[in-house]
Amino acid sequence: MNFLNLGLGELLGLVGAISAGVVALYLLDRSKRHQLVATLRFWSAADVRTELKHRRRIQQPWSLLLQLISLALLLTAIAGPQLGIFDAAGRDHVIVLDTSAWMGSRAGQGILMDQAKANARAYLRSIPRRDRVMLVRADALATPATAFESSRSVLESAIQQSQPGASELNLAQALEFADRAQKLQSQRAGEIVFVGAARVSEEEAALSAVPANLRVVTTSSTLENVGLRKISMRRSPSTPDNWDIFVVVRNYGVRPQSVDLGLQFSKSPAGSRRLTLGPGAEEQATFSYAAKSGGFLEARLNVRDAFPQDDRAVVELPPQASSHVVIYSTEPQLLRPLFGANPQVEAVFDSPDKFDPAVKADVMVLDRFTPPSAPRVPSIWIQPPSSGSPVSVRATKAGMRLDQWHPETIIGAGIRTRDVTLETAESFSPAAGDITVAETSDGPVVVARESNPKQVFIGFHPGRGSMKYQLATPLLIANILRWMTPGAFRQWEFQAGTVGMVNVPVDKDAKADDIHVLDSQDRSLPFTLDNDNSGNNLRFFSGSPGTVRVRMGDREMVYSLTLPDVGEVPWRVPASVHKGVPRPLLGDAAPRDLWPWLALLGGFGLLADWLLYGRSRAFRLRAARTMSPHFKKMAQWRKAS
Amino acid sequence: MPEPLLDRHFLERLERLTIQWQNSLPGLVGGHNTSRFAGSGQEFLDHRQFHHGDDLRAVNWRAFLRLEKLFLKMFQLEPRIPVRLLIDISKSMETGEIDKFHYAQRLAAALCYVGLVRLDSICLQPFSNKLHDAFTASGGRHRFTPAMNFLSALEPSGQTNFLECSRQFCSKYPQRGLTLVISDFLDDRDCEKPLQYLADFGHELILLQIWADEDRQPPWEGELEIEDAETGQKVELSFDGDARAQYTAAFDAHADLIRKVAERNNGRYLGVPTSIPIEQAIFGPLVKSGAVA
Repeated sequence: MNFLNLGLGELLGLVGAISAGVVALYLLDRSKRHQLVATLRFWSAADVRTELKHRRRIQQPWSLLLQLISLALLLTAIAGPQLGIFDAAGRDHVIVLDTSAWMGSRAGQGILMDQAKANARAYLRSIPRRDRVMLVRADALATPATAFESSRSVLESAIQQSQPGASELNLAQALEFADRAQKLQSQRAGEIVFVGAARVSEEEAALSAVPANLRVVTTSSTLENVGLRKISMRRSPSTPDNWDIFVVVRNYGVRPQSVDLGLQFSKSPAGSRRLTLGPGAEEQATFSYAAKSGGFLEARLNVRDAFPQDDRAVVELPPQASSHVVIYSTEPQLLRPLFGANPQVEAVFDSPDKFDPAVKADVMVLDRFTPPSAPRVPSIWIQPPSSGSPVSVRATKAGMRLDQWHPETIIGAGIRTRDVTLETAESFSPAAGDITVAETSDGPVVVARESNPKQVFIGFHPGRGSMKYQLATPLLIANILRWMTPGAFRQWEFQAGTVGMVNVPVDKDAKADDIHVLDSQDRSLPFTLDNDNSGNNLRFFSGSPGTVRVRMGDREMVYSLTLPDVGEVPWRVPASVHKGVPRPLLGDAAPRDLWPWLALLGGFGLLADWLLYGRSRAFRLRAARTMSPHFKKMAQWRKAS
Repeated sequence: MPEPLLDRHFLERLERLTIQWQNSLPGLVGGHNTSRFAGSGQEFLDHRQFHHGDDLRAVNWRAFLRLEKLFLKMFQLEPRIPVRLLIDISKSMETGEIDKFHYAQRLAAALCYVGLVRLDSICLQPFSNKLHDAFTASGGRHRFTPAMNFLSALEPSGQTNFLECSRQFCSKYPQRGLTLVISDFLDDRDCEKPLQYLADFGHELILLQIWADEDRQPPWEGELEIEDAETGQKVELSFDGDARAQYTAAFDAHADLIRKVAERNNGRYLGVPTSIPIEQAIFGPLVKSGAVA
């Protein structure tokens, strides 16, 4: 017998305490009460029986016994005893419900998740009702949906609310989590039940280190599916107007498949390819598409398979950025080769007398003149006149030898010259905080000022003299423009991939402080930076679909993690593992509630006590006189007791 | 200052009442009572020598004609017919949720006031196992305050002994009169014979039996320890509804016996439970019985 609500000790203690109270009340109720009366003559006349010696004694032991038994029966009914199973305590099971992306696959009229829910509910019905169950939803992360819970309604509600996720099943982690939860929180460990398709990565396909109490209830996992695995886009290094697009397609099924892959950019066809994929094979298709404007690139597989979620992916591409430069010069032909060579620079030339301090431009170039008012945008000053120059001009000389470049600065990075003599040049006296980029023996000739707006002062003319033929000159202009307008020269890479763990190869000298991993709300995501033989590898995890940006200097990678991460192969369940839903407890083995019968018996006992010994006795005795001698005899016997 | 037994409003209502009796008793009736006998009500006692100043109307002229001497006839002035209130002050009067003793005090005070207003001669005679000191008053309502003080000073004590009290009463009060007995009549011994003594001695009896509801119908049930308020004797018994019915029947039989004693001797009987207010008892059952009108 099993007591659900009270332990046996608690029940006995409660019965004892209440019995003591009942006996005390009984003695108090049935004890003689003292009354002062005017005379005794009528009392003797009333033919009442006197008992002079019985004091503080139980006058009606059968009544007391009946009351105590009835109360004990009622308390036992409250304790909720069950007959049939003699286990004192139930067991604690963990149901690991597969909520990976694959569980959204079509199977019959519904999806695999529906089958898994039905199996989980069937398992719940098969175990004793006092057993507690913890429900764990497992995809890339194992998440407990309930604590160890005995309420079947709560568990069934949690099962019903489970939905397929977007990530791949991490089976080892889920089983380890369930095992640990059972060891830490359960009172008496039951089974760990995995319910789902168990489609995992190739590394986990042969997972055999499983808990000994594992039971697997699998659903169908051999469904045919071809899906997009990854889409990668970046501007072509040779032709910046073009996008280089790489699409990876995988056949998850067991039969070879031929599929049509189509690309659309802003609803216009951008390319198509027919791919033939063997079982478990991956194919990569490469496309090139010219587009300066922004838009949505959609990749679609024209196939009807069990898992349509990975047949389509959409990536938003930004328009090609450019830098707008206004050049005020009396000799524009000298500077036109420098600023017109870069397709990302839109150069506009104008005469100095048309200077406008508020001109709409990203960068302003002032060629050998002093403007009447300070520019409001970043500006490049070429040989500024000593009067009116923001940086003080130390000297103007001919035949200055360019001694040194500072490659550690942003502007001087990668620039060097050899035996260069400047025909005519100005040397500057930089202010505190100014950055010296190049200098001669007479002083700095290229100075950068990180004010707002930024300013760069060049003491020589880059389009004249010896510097006209130096490779350092276009590099210097390019570095200045990149420093002033970093957004226009940012290197973009786009990838549409699957949620979960993402690996990003980064430069070997990349530092974690310079890297920012941001989600779609510009919140920082945690990441790790690992060194391996091939270089640094940045890793971050995204458990839900969304966009993640990785910024490293002027390089930005956008990961559109919208493709579901589908397990590659079904798990090969070890032979030692129990499989299927166990048979439910039926018939005599099922626990049977006894409380209704006990409550009925207790109530009947109290009713009988009231009828036999309670307030209804006077009525009953009068009735006995008028009814039958036998009943009268019975009444006298009760009175004597 | 103790609370007066009767309030002013109640006293005003009592002034309309008169104590009534049925038997013809020798003596002057008080106040507004009328006698069926003609004459002055004087009784001849003796002769004496005439002295100057004596009332010539009392001269025995027949003796003067025969003896030629003036003799004066002396008459015995008959006292008023006494109204005596025998008040039970035994310990048994203390029992009951509503105090029977206090109820008896108030009832006696009310009857005393009725008698004094009608110029009756009132005697308040407390008794238990013997007759205690009595209080006599007559002559009007201004004597009521001492009478009420007397009643208020009474304390319940002793056991009831009707037989002894009857003997003492008959020897103490040879003049017949109206005797009102206010008691619960719950004497362990028989009270029929003593009451019959009083009647046989010529007293007109008005028996006012006072009982508490507990006296007639005990509300208790179960195992009881009963103690006699007068004797202190205890009895342990089991009491139930059936026994209660028998008890009440015995009580009613006892009350019926007292009633029969009164009626047999041309007296009146009235049973008053203390649950009835005193004003309602007087103007209801007491007036209806003819004891007062």
